[in-house]
Amino acid sequence: MAGPSVAAYLVVSVLLFATGAFGVLIRRSPLIILLALEIMLNAGNLALLAFSRHAGNGDGQIFALTVMVVAAAEAVVGLGLIVAVSRQRVELDVDRLTSLRG
Amino acid sequence: MIPAAWIALFAPLGGVLVITLLGQRISRFQAGLVASGSTLVSFVCSLIAFLALLDESPAERIHYSTLWTWLSAGDLQFGAEILVDPLSVFMMLVVSGVGFLILSYAVGYMHGDPEERRYHAYKALFVFSMLLLVQSGNLLLLLAGWGLVGLSSYLLINYWHIRATAVAAGKKAFVMNAIGDATFALALFLLIQRAGSLDFRVVFQEGVAEKSSTVAVLIALGLLGGAVAKSAQIPLHTWLPDAMEGPTPVSALIHAATMVTAGVYLIARTHVLFELAPDIQHLAGILGAITILVAGLIALVQTDIKRVIAYSTMSQIGYMFVAVGLGAYGAGLFHLMTHAFFKALLFMAAGIVIHALSDEQDIRRMGGLARRLPFTYRTFLVGALALAAVPPFAGFFSKDSILGSAANAGTLGWALWGVAAFGAFLTALYTFRLLFIVFGGELSAFAREHAPALSHHGEAAFSMLWPVGVLTILSAVGGFLQVPWGWALVDDWLHPVVESAEEATGLTLAFSVVATTALALAGIALAWRIWARADPLPSRLRRRYPWAARTLEEKFYFDAAYDRAFYEPASRSAALALQYVEQPLFLRSLGELGRGVRSLSGRLSAVQTGSVRSYALALGAGAAVIALVFLIVS
Amino acid sequence: MEEFLVWVVWVLAAAALLSSGIAVVLFSNPFFSALALIVNLASLAVLYLILAAEFVAAAQVLVYAGAIVVMFLFVIAYLGGRADAPWAGGPTLQSVAAIVAAGAIAVEVVVVVALKAGDRLANAAEIPATFGSPSEIGRLFLGPHLLAFEVTSIVLLVAAVGGVILGTAVPRERRG
Repeated sequence: MAGPSVAAYLVVSVLLFATGAFGVLIRRSPLIILLALEIMLNAGNLALLAFSRHAGNGDGQIFALTVMVVAAAEAVVGLGLIVAVSRQRVELDVDRLTSLRG
Repeated sequence: MIPAAWIALFAPLGGVLVITLLGQRISRFQAGLVASGSTLVSFVCSLIAFLALLDESPAERIHYSTLWTWLSAGDLQFGAEILVDPLSVFMMLVVSGVGFLILSYAVGYMHGDPEERRYHAYKALFVFSMLLLVQSGNLLLLLAGWGLVGLSSYLLINYWHIRATAVAAGKKAFVMNAIGDATFALALFLLIQRAGSLDFRVVFQEGVAEKSSTVAVLIALGLLGGAVAKSAQIPLHTWLPDAMEGPTPVSALIHAATMVTAGVYLIARTHVLFELAPDIQHLAGILGAITILVAGLIALVQTDIKRVIAYSTMSQIGYMFVAVGLGAYGAGLFHLMTHAFFKALLFMAAGIVIHALSDEQDIRRMGGLARRLPFTYRTFLVGALALAAVPPFAGFFSKDSILGSAANAGTLGWALWGVAAFGAFLTALYTFRLLFIVFGGELSAFAREHAPALSHHGEAAFSMLWPVGVLTILSAVGGFLQVPWGWALVDDWLHPVVESAEEATGLTLAFSVVATTALALAGIALAWRIWARADPLPSRLRRRYPWAARTLEEKFYFDAAYDRAFYEPASRSAALALQYVEQPLFLRSLGELGRGVRSLSGRLSAVQTGSVRSYALALGAGAAVIALVFLIVS
Repeated sequence: MEEFLVWVVWVLAAAALLSSGIAVVLFSNPFFSALALIVNLASLAVLYLILAAEFVAAAQVLVYAGAIVVMFLFVIAYLGGRADAPWAGGPTLQSVAAIVAAGAIAVEVVVVVALKAGDRLANAAEIPATFGSPSEIGRLFLGPHLLAFEVTSIVLLVAAVGGVILGTAVPRERRG
């Protein structure tokens, strides 16, 4: 295939994934966390498509499209939650949202 | 004949079901009618069976009938089978006949009781159980009837379950009977091991065990234990006086006429097994003789009218045990029949007295009731004469049958004869003591107050009077079935099933008859002298021999001894177990368990910080660790 | 020559990808983070094109960069884009552990790929010209993966309903 082999894509994908994970773990604003989550999902998509190209099988692309749909749905719900939380006059800080504490 | 026998068995059960299922929809009187009606059906069917058997020759009079295989376990098969033979028909007639009379009496006696339907249902259940016992064709079904009879007795003794004394009495009766049931069951286990079945046809072969071998002795001992408990003989007798807590018809039916005689029936039925262990059979006779004495002596100082009659029952069953102990089965069963007549009569007459005096049972408050209750007095007199074995009443013939057989039975027989003869004296003494105290003399203050004047509605409800009348007639003429120097109808009738020992003849018999009759009349005379004349002799004797009086009043300390030997240790060990085992081990450990779980979960819940970031961190770290593990493993 | 160009584009796209990813995570202003995400998504679309996934690349730009990021920008604008300072308070257990965990995941996968993949990842399959084209995607969606297609539509419906509900729920203080 044109360009680097699958291995390079995989490395890029995992570095992107690690970046997204780091963002989810380190940030306190739910908005940024959602953005980092999107990055992680996209990293997964990249790996899927790389393998799909490598194997010549179109199923990977279907999977990636489905992931995209699910990411969209999740973004909708997540943003809706953030809006609802902010309406409650609660500060948008994940460390403060601990009312589910056991 | 066979269908009649099955109907006789199941009719009372049908009565129970009808009363139970219809509940409040039938009136209390109708419930009583159903119960006594079903017993009447039983009696009629028993009569049909009896007449059918009469038609056949004596050798053919044994019929087994199986409805279905009740229990099947490996090689063992037990059928729901009944046996129609002279012995079972004899018992069926007595049980259903006297039962019918008593159940009819009870309709009047229990009138107005708030839970009357329950009473009638229990009574019918009892009749069914007793019929099952006497009609069963194998020992397992007999044991089933045995247990059901015990259950009915328990239910009826604490029929007035609000009374603490009644509840205690019911428990006592049941527990003591359970001891007998246990020994009975052990004997059955041995029999199954030896014979592989409990069917009468198999078990009563002579070869089941060797004569006087350990096995035979154990089997007979087990059966004797059951009989002793059920028939309230020494040493398992203390439950019977307490059982007087139940209503009077219960005492009449269960604790006089039928259930307590089940032990005698058992010994007669399993006589083959007893004859294989003659020592045990003689032991039965000895226990019976001891009971005659002990019960007779205790009855002399009792002040409750029903308890006197109860101890008298114990004593009379002792006579039956003497009879079967010596092999005189016909005499024993004859006495069973006549005893059913006059003892039920005495209880029912006593019931009329109790009713008339608004449930007072203490004889010290009674007196002179002959004037207020003449019919009752006369019937009670007939019953007392029958009990004291005065000719020509029924008791004379049956008791003399027993004594005649005893006189013919060697040394042991004569020893038992002596005790039984003295027992006749005692019987007359305490019976007429009761009669004179209750009915004789001046009307007591209490009686004057409570007993209705003999004006308006007679002494008692008619439903209570006619059964008493019938039993009076039977007590008077029922004895003529077996007359010394004449005929022995009972012995002959039972011949195909049990061979009864021969009675003495000639001079020995004459001596026995005359001696016992003389003793009975002497007893009556002494009772008349002391109690009809209010002689101070009893109180003088009491002052001179206080220990004797106390022993008699404490019922020979049997109750106290059993209390010390069994009840105290049991309740004390139960209290110890509660304190040292149950509390720390179970109750507290359960509490600790709960507390431990709660504290652990409290500590675990620290994981739920509620902070999303820590959860995410846990996820990430976990994923890293798992990936590492996969890396290493693969 | 072509091969060389592809490599150059690839390297540029990959560099843009990774740096914009870091930018998304590190910016304190959410608005800038969202903009960095747009760059991220665009470079991803380029990589998808190199991987012969044309339809997916187009969908990426349309759906992700076009719809989702716009949604994010709406919310950021509505909420006033509150800034949070991720490094305030010095290195906490959380931050150190986060670095370690993320780094561990990255390292592990790279090691795995290096050690285990070997030859199998070298030769890519030959693909027909229609690979990744809309007709191919359509055929797959309406054929073997029909169920997934239908289920995703339901998921979208649920998400839409959820979003509406979350959006119109009246806060408690304002209830009458």
